[in-house]
Amino acid sequence: MPVPWEALIPFGLLTAMFGAAGTLMNVSQRAQNDGKAPRYKLDSWEESMMERDRRLTGSKRGQSTNPLAPKEFSLNSVWQTENL
Amino acid sequence: MTTQYPRGTGFKCDFVDQTPMPADVPHVDELGVTSAPLKSAAFFLGSFCKDYNEDFMLCKSESRDPAHCLKEGRKVTRCAIDLINKMRENCGSEWDAHWECLDKRNQELYHCRQPERKLNECMFDKLGIKKVIPGTPEGRTPIHEKQSPIYKSIQK
Repeated sequence: MPVPWEALIPFGLLTAMFGAAGTLMNVSQRAQNDGKAPRYKLDSWEESMMERDRRLTGSKRGQSTNPLAPKEFSLNSVWQTENL
Repeated sequence: MTTQYPRGTGFKCDFVDQTPMPADVPHVDELGVTSAPLKSAAFFLGSFCKDYNEDFMLCKSESRDPAHCLKEGRKVTRCAIDLINKMRENCGSEWDAHWECLDKRNQELYHCRQPERKLNECMFDKLGIKKVIPGTPEGRTPIHEKQSPIYKSIQK
């Protein structure tokens, strides 16, 4: 008895399309975040800490347990200014 | 702390100030620990360096001028560096396990209770520092010691 396999094509398409989009999204977000999942629910404190991490390690998601900061840390703080 | 600038109020540029500290200020190297390991060590820093932290906060409450509290700030930095060195040599692997777990989980503490339990045991055995949440009501178990919490990781 013939099985109506053509009826399952839409389900296959949905799975493939959602899967491809989701995988691409995940890979692109991890590539922007040094291979880690992106951070969410960030408030000003967390943003400031991530900026400090950028000044210490070069990347917003970089981590280190060095007790002493590198020499550049004392001179690389960024002030947001406006031209008057 | 950076503030959110309203849009359309002028050309913004990032200014990096290259002037070094004045020579009459004693030099103390800044703490090089980033956010995830620092969050993991936060409660231990709070109890180990309590006196210096309280001095600094009381000094700050007198005046918000940065120059007013430089001395107390240097003491806080030195105490923190001391504790970080002790943690690295005594409980290095447990600390690494905990902060790496935090780093993968949006730096939220409730996701990483198992590595935290091991770190707390190691810190208590080797350095005698216990994690205490100040302000816990009397008779209630602190959230980090609760055996079956309601709010926990859903997956993983």
